[in-house]
Amino acid sequence: MHAGSMIPTTPSGRPEWLVCSHCGATCRDRLLSPGEHLHCGRCHAHVKSTHNGGSFHPLWAFSSAGIISLILANTHPILHFEVAGKSQQNLVITGIEALWNDGYGIIAVQIFICTIAAPALYLSALWYLAASRTLGTHWPGTDLVARTAANLENLNLLPVFAVACMVSVVKLQTIGTVTWDSGALWIAIASLFTLLSMQAHKPESPDSNRGEMR
Amino acid sequence: MNNHTRIALSRSFLFTAIVIYVPANIIPVMSITLPGQVENLTVLGGVEELYNSGLAPVAGVVFLASIVVPFLKICALAWLHALHGTDRHQAARMAVHGFLIKIGAWAMIDIFLLSVLTAVGQLGVLAGVLPREGALFFSALIVSTYFSAEVYKPSLIWQESPAHAQ
Repeated sequence: MHAGSMIPTTPSGRPEWLVCSHCGATCRDRLLSPGEHLHCGRCHAHVKSTHNGGSFHPLWAFSSAGIISLILANTHPILHFEVAGKSQQNLVITGIEALWNDGYGIIAVQIFICTIAAPALYLSALWYLAASRTLGTHWPGTDLVARTAANLENLNLLPVFAVACMVSVVKLQTIGTVTWDSGALWIAIASLFTLLSMQAHKPESPDSNRGEMR
Repeated sequence: MNNHTRIALSRSFLFTAIVIYVPANIIPVMSITLPGQVENLTVLGGVEELYNSGLAPVAGVVFLASIVVPFLKICALAWLHALHGTDRHQAARMAVHGFLIKIGAWAMIDIFLLSVLTAVGQLGVLAGVLPREGALFFSALIVSTYFSAEVYKPSLIWQESPAHAQ
């Protein structure tokens, strides 16, 4: 293929440029072969990639499994705690409610965002993107959904919550008898699928990153 | 939001984090009630308790996440701001910023721990876990360092240097 035909151009015939979302450097756009990635020459961050036909299938599968396990993680009790014949079970939301009722609403909101809202929105956003690309249709608002997913990635702290659950069991064992409930397993599974979804998700360059060098 | 606002905001959040780092670590974050005793625990006190219970690996994880990570974030952010506008160590600053974003989440472990313990430990006089004022400081510390790093976009590291278009 002629080298000139490898460079996408604007309607005015000028080469298209991509702006690196990490360092702001401009990188000349070019057509990529399936599976190839374009990296920023300055900070080496990922700028653009192409996907072969089936590459969104893993993301669709992981995000679907993540959403289902997240629902189960939030509807099943995590721990069973027993002291002197009295016992108690708790869901993820129970701790948030307890903190809210104790007057620590700000912390409750923080935990709600990081363990329920952000993971749910993040996995839903990835599912929407993967479904849209896999089915070969351009669903509305995909650029906005892609940006939302990128912004939510750092707020999705389900894996950290899973570790906190393990630490809390160790700590509670010094007070009473603690046993895992099925919700803990679903949290671990949801964390795993969240991490796999993050790995499978290679952001494409949104149209807002495109520009014309003047 | 323009770059000047971003830098000013990031510095404000960093300054807030520096101011509240000490209170967040010395004011109790939770109180544990057991028959005959009420124990107030600071972040460091919780680590000590885990260590004294023979759970050194778990104590190590909580110590790293709750004490070391916020301290490292504050030091790294201060370094980024100290070198802002210069062309020194730009690649290293990019790497440090990326590292900050990656490790920042782990500081939330103590807040999540408080959430799980508060939920489970509600058996009245038999066993109870209640949040204390220190939790607000610790939560504010995490939020301040998070926003200081998030608002300071990596592109600001290259702001004063010539453009390196590929």
